[in-house]
Amino acid sequence: MLTIKNLHARVEQKNILNNLNLTIKPGEVHAIMGPNGAGKSTLGYVLSGREGYEVLDGQVDFQGQDLLEMETEDRARNGLFLAFQYPVEIPGVSNMEFMKESVNAMRQHRGEEPLTAAEFLKKAKEACKQVQLPLDFLKRGVNEGFSGGEKKRNEIMQMILLEPTLCILDESDSGLDVDALQVVANGVNSQRDGKRSFIVITHYQRLLDYIEPDFVHILANGKVVKSGDASLAKQIEQQGYAFLGLDTSEEASA
Amino acid sequence: MNAWLQQAIERGQGIDDWLSPARARALEALSNTSWPTRRTESWKYTSLTALEQLDLTAESAKQQSTVEPIPGVDCLDLVFKNGVLQTNLAQMNLPAGLQITSVQTTSAVQQVIATTLFSQIKPKHHLFGLVNDALAGDVLFIDIEQNSHIGQPIRIISLSTGGHESHHRVLVRLGNQAKATLIEQALGQQNSLSTGFTECDLGEQAELEHYRLAMHTGEAIYFGGCHFCLHHHANLNSTLIGYGSQLSRTDIDIIHNGEHAKAKLNAIYLLGESEHFDLHSTIEHAKPNGTTEENVRGIVGDKANAVFNGRIHIHRDAQKTLAELNNRNLLLSRRGQINTKPELEIYADDVQCAHGATVAEIEEEALYYLMSRGISRSKALVMLNYGFIQELINQMPNQQLAQWLEPQLRARFKEMEVR
Repeated sequence: MLTIKNLHARVEQKNILNNLNLTIKPGEVHAIMGPNGAGKSTLGYVLSGREGYEVLDGQVDFQGQDLLEMETEDRARNGLFLAFQYPVEIPGVSNMEFMKESVNAMRQHRGEEPLTAAEFLKKAKEACKQVQLPLDFLKRGVNEGFSGGEKKRNEIMQMILLEPTLCILDESDSGLDVDALQVVANGVNSQRDGKRSFIVITHYQRLLDYIEPDFVHILANGKVVKSGDASLAKQIEQQGYAFLGLDTSEEASA
Repeated sequence: MNAWLQQAIERGQGIDDWLSPARARALEALSNTSWPTRRTESWKYTSLTALEQLDLTAESAKQQSTVEPIPGVDCLDLVFKNGVLQTNLAQMNLPAGLQITSVQTTSAVQQVIATTLFSQIKPKHHLFGLVNDALAGDVLFIDIEQNSHIGQPIRIISLSTGGHESHHRVLVRLGNQAKATLIEQALGQQNSLSTGFTECDLGEQAELEHYRLAMHTGEAIYFGGCHFCLHHHANLNSTLIGYGSQLSRTDIDIIHNGEHAKAKLNAIYLLGESEHFDLHSTIEHAKPNGTTEENVRGIVGDKANAVFNGRIHIHRDAQKTLAELNNRNLLLSRRGQINTKPELEIYADDVQCAHGATVAEIEEEALYYLMSRGISRSKALVMLNYGFIQELINQMPNQQLAQWLEPQLRARFKEMEVR
């Protein structure tokens, strides 16, 4: 599904990713943890193709294609989805219009007919229901005035509608209470079908109680310093990152 | 004296009707007016060169504009073509409480009322307003009796075609507690000059829903004006849509002449190519407890040029006034230009006022967000730009009119060169 080799990337002249390697097979769930400033969010942005995130070296193969050569929208059309840590508010563009354009862009890419308004609405309603988002959220401006939890649920709603092959969840648990966390996790779990792969970026083991990972990677200073199974996350929760010999005093944000 | 103005005055002297005394005053004011230059404050960013060089005998390439019905909106249509009223007023089936006459048919009783409106609401300083005073032929008088609620929107369409100079004028009186909707649509693409001025008097507790669609484009030179006088508890909700042509300007004046009056003014301008659009608005709060909410948003692409000047003047007696003016602009091209100037003049001490003006470029983060969902860059730009004005479109009280306008505005966007 995804093979990252020797990835180096920088933002605003600052090197964030240094020789990052990661391989993800279809159907796998990989959790990525690590101290602040380790490069977790940067990895998500680099993979999705955000402007300003400059790749210095390395290769990323996504389903047999060179991901780094693709435009942002083409990465999405080929099945890559990033659930944002801070979803953007766009007043004036309705959630409905946004998702309809998006779904139909994906369909066009696959050579399918665009959905009619009625067909789309039916799908959108189902997706909203799955993440317990009231239907009037479809009519509202994209994320406009949504609470933190509603924004995160809106991201998962989009993921359900777009049916990606690789989902990157960037701190989809941050700022959520236990109930909202469960809604988000259930939404994610409903999309696990043995083929779709996930990268779950999180600070807390808590989310991984609900979304059980196949692998856990610890990211520090821009590279994977330790990989293991779900038990590694529990160990981090109990002991912090100190046992890995990492300096976590620097609270940079990345 | 400017040559064009000189011959306009001469033509004005030849008109003789019951409005002649008012026309004579305008002619006198015009002969004492100095022709605006770039050093004239209210014309600083709008050059009249195109008018000075106007040659109405020149061929015009563009197509002619046509009158289209608005689906779902059953309007009382009044059509002016090159300043001449095409509609047979005598054959119109008007609801009770509504009278529409033109200068030839206005009764003696109504002439008295119309005289209290003509050039009485519109401030004297508008150069082309004075020109319109002097030259407007078919002056239309729309009189809505007190307590009458006219459900059917009154639509006034003015078409300008190539080679013509035209001046049309509308007077509207809403009696106390009267209600009406007025849609003014000005169209033209070809080599032409037109002015269109409207004066509205809103009686006590009267309500007017007003739309001015200033859609002159291409070579059509246009000077428009909307002037409102609000009496006690009157309520005005006005929306302006502005396109740009080689020279297009609209002046809006709202005078709070009674207490507790409310004015809401939303304006949108969308300019591409090398279009020019100038919007000057002045809100006069002469009486206490008035409310004004003005939102102006513009999108400027290509080499287009937008000018906005928004003045709010709160007189000494106008205590407890609530006034807000906001102008936001989106610049799509480095070659485009926006000159915006909000002005607050406050002489009362117990008021709440706010004003602001911004010029921004597209937010990269929002663009990235849309693209990360598979939407192409160009499509995302259109969505974001449109979103910027969609908020104001959504506030239009007549959503059927909004739905009719939407595809036209969207089509206009698509033609606008981005970056």
